[in-house]
Amino acid sequence: MQAAVGTAHVPHGHIHPPPDTFIKKYIFSQDHKVIAVQYFITSGLFFVLAGLLAEMMRAQLASANNTLLSPTTYNEAYSVHGSAMVWLVIIPILTGAFGNLIMPLQIGARDVAFPWLNMFSFWLLPPAGILLFGSFIWGAPEAGWTEYPPISLEQSFGTSMWCMAIFLIGVSSTITGLNFLVTIIKMRAPGMTWTRMPLFVWATAVTAFLSFIATANLSAALLGLLIERTFGVPFYDPAKGGSPVLWQHIFWFYSHPAVYIMILPAFGIVSEILPTFCRRPIFGYKAIAYSSVAIGLVSFAVWAHHMFTSGLAPWVQLPFMIMTMIVGIPTGVKIFSWVATLWGGNIRLTTPMYFVLGFLSTFTFGGITGIMLASVPADVHEHATYFVVAHLHYVLFGGSVFGIFAGLYYWWPKMTGRMLDETLGKIHFWLMFVSFNATFLPMHWIGLEGMPRRVSTYDPQYQDTNLFISISAFVLGASMLVFAYNAIKSTLSGREAGQNPWGARTLEWMIPSPPPYYNFEDIPVVLSGPYDYGKPLPYREIKADLDYKPIV
Amino acid sequence: MNTGQQEHKLDAGFWRATIVMGVISALGMWGVVVFPIERYLPEAAGIAVQIDWLFKFMAFFSVPILVYVNGYMIYFAVRYRNRKGQPLDQPGSSIHDHKALEFWWTAIPSVLMLVLGILSYVLIPQYYTARAASADSVTIEAIGHQFSWEFRYPGLRDPVPDELHLPINVPVTIDSTSTDVIHSFWVPAFRMKQDMIPGMVVPMTFTPTEIGKYEIVCTEFCGVGHSGMRDRFVYVQSRSDFDAWYAAEKTKQAHAPTQLTAAVLASGDAGAGQQLFNARCTTCHNAAPFDQRKVGPGLANLFHDPAHPKLLSGKAPTPADVADILEHGLSGSMGQMPNAQLNGLSAKDIADLVAYLKTLK
Ligand code: HEC
Ligand SMILES: [Cu+2]
Repeated sequence: MQAAVGTAHVPHGHIHPPPDTFIKKYIFSQDHKVIAVQYFITSGLFFVLAGLLAEMMRAQLASANNTLLSPTTYNEAYSVHGSAMVWLVIIPILTGAFGNLIMPLQIGARDVAFPWLNMFSFWLLPPAGILLFGSFIWGAPEAGWTEYPPISLEQSFGTSMWCMAIFLIGVSSTITGLNFLVTIIKMRAPGMTWTRMPLFVWATAVTAFLSFIATANLSAALLGLLIERTFGVPFYDPAKGGSPVLWQHIFWFYSHPAVYIMILPAFGIVSEILPTFCRRPIFGYKAIAYSSVAIGLVSFAVWAHHMFTSGLAPWVQLPFMIMTMIVGIPTGVKIFSWVATLWGGNIRLTTPMYFVLGFLSTFTFGGITGIMLASVPADVHEHATYFVVAHLHYVLFGGSVFGIFAGLYYWWPKMTGRMLDETLGKIHFWLMFVSFNATFLPMHWIGLEGMPRRVSTYDPQYQDTNLFISISAFVLGASMLVFAYNAIKSTLSGREAGQNPWGARTLEWMIPSPPPYYNFEDIPVVLSGPYDYGKPLPYREIKADLDYKPIV
Repeated sequence: MNTGQQEHKLDAGFWRATIVMGVISALGMWGVVVFPIERYLPEAAGIAVQIDWLFKFMAFFSVPILVYVNGYMIYFAVRYRNRKGQPLDQPGSSIHDHKALEFWWTAIPSVLMLVLGILSYVLIPQYYTARAASADSVTIEAIGHQFSWEFRYPGLRDPVPDELHLPINVPVTIDSTSTDVIHSFWVPAFRMKQDMIPGMVVPMTFTPTEIGKYEIVCTEFCGVGHSGMRDRFVYVQSRSDFDAWYAAEKTKQAHAPTQLTAAVLASGDAGAGQQLFNARCTTCHNAAPFDQRKVGPGLANLFHDPAHPKLLSGKAPTPADVADILEHGLSGSMGQMPNAQLNGLSAKDIADLVAYLKTLK
């Protein structure tokens, strides 16, 4: 190890030796990078399963009075699809996988604050997945990912397994939130002030705060449901003096912030990729950073916009409508800042950039339909129809999943040391972008026309549109195969990435790919913000390979 | 390699693109204004017209936002792409803040939100707080069941299942609730929706303004028959038609047998039974052989199926025993067959249904 030259102080002077057994290295690993990969693989598997459920649903909906799936099977399919995508796929990938892989590297740390807890958090995920998918054996939950009582009280044992699964994920999220928060507050490299942090770290900080604070509410609500189902203590059953609306309040008090847990890290990913490939500073660094904080805080005061038809008094609806509209403003500021970053750049349209531009386009659309849903009178018509299904897929798929793929293409070389194929990447993008829009855009229209969500048969007037949607959804599913092939091909024969294939300036690119066990031989000293392209690198104590090696 | 910072100005190309996008936006906004929503979904209540205008207001301003965000994104990505011969690491513009620009793109959306907020708020109280109070207005109790609706009119002895009759141009208040799980009562043509929550009674008030027949749809998942909770209708009628229907319903109820006697059972009308079957039973049953099940078994040869000589209740398939199942329901391995109250069946309805089932082969 080289002596640190000229640093003021080096907080983490000594390096632990790497683990020596297979189990410690790859199974019960406490290394944030290995844990990140574990998250990617596990959640990737759940993504495939939950995606197959979606394809089953689309097969059923291909014709109006189809009998391919029984109503019960169909209800189970969409409930597990939604629950799995939210809790087993998007949240773990954005926080557990990307947060773990990138955040410690970007702040110049050798690991997270509590590596053992980090390992523990991950190991709550596989049992949760087994419980959730295993619930099919006893009859999976049927009332959607929201599981409103009283109907969820009457369902079979699978619903109790659902409660336990989501409870475990909740505990995992809470712990990860705390862990990341402490890491970001305490373990930034010397010189990395708050306003020198990369924007992905800002996003992860706010996300961690939300996970830490909000998830406990979900756990409480779930425990209540489980206790009521098992022992009959009436929290929610109106027949025994409980309140079904109570569940809705607590559930959404968590689940609205959860929407931002699922999108803020994607915002962070976009904010990293844009400057790299535009070769210019991100426009409005502070506006983007602080708007994440604003979104995070306001997100705690909007939950009842999911309940405008639940019999709330108008004076209750009003503040929730106003707060929801207010969230739109910092979100708009971000979108405009990203577009302005493109202005005057020296832009390389690589695959990560394709996904970022796709994200900008689809997420903006989802944001706008969000405002349309915020307006109480309009929501009264749109609520619980396919309009909502369309909106949520535009933000969660068009936003989060496009963001995830952008991040995967961007950081894959850092994670594996090898490049993904650019041509396959672009084929993947175009297939996914076109079929995504073909799948979800028409849903807005049939929803407004009168098709409710969560139905396995529907009025024949929506038949043609639904057939078109189903075919598009199959193409969308197939587009994932291109990525899978690309990933395998890259692992077997991908080009060596080298340290910094994109010529980026954040700290993770200043070390070898994949990074060594201890990440940084010497803890770097940060002299200014990370996005000043054209200026010398703002770090000391790194032996960066500064040459920009074009990869195509 | 690096050949130094480039600084760019807003040039003619930028303004040309801006104008093109302006033209596209204007076309889109014009399209929003003239779009005939009512051709796709009738506006059958006063509030529907207002909500559609609110929706158009939102769509109107969404068009330029979408066009400019996507348009500038594509224009910049193409205009500033790395060109052949241009060093890959040549830095782009170093401008990373512009106070005036940031002010305006915060201020303009804020003002739009404010206007939208005010417009929305003006509409809210109309249907949640106000109760229909004029002399000729109607108040109806609507109750959601798995998987039917029940409407109680003042002055009628029995509830009217799955059919809502309303007089035109008078305010109506619907007090909605449920006796089992949460349902949601939605009439798309009225743009009105209200969750029916057990233990709560929530009113909504509106004025139907167009004579016609409009679908009622359940939009809250309520169980295995949820998808079938559609194809039930609201009938908006002229005052005289409404009064005639009300009088006829009253007489019908007065004459309807309250007890399912053998005489009543024998006098069932298969035609009326078929209509009832299609409205109330096809959520869960096919008029097909036993094996073609939906939720419950197919009912085509209920009375003469050699493979199933007995009913699921264990009794022989006599009319009286089938009527017994319809009256009291049945719970078995396939699930729950609702009783007459939940299915909204009167004694005469049961007789009609049995008569119809007997005709099936
Ligand atoms: C919510 C779904 C549902 C609805 C609505 C429903 N049924 Fe059923 N029905 C069932 C189920 C489930 C069974 C079987 C119960 C069992 O497993 O024993 C059944 C059984 C029956 C049986 C006995 C069949 C046999 O072979 O013994 C008859 C008769 C019947 N239903 C008639 C009707 C009629 C007539 C209607 C319309 C008024 C109706 N059902 C509405 C669910 C339903
Ligand atoms: Cu219902």
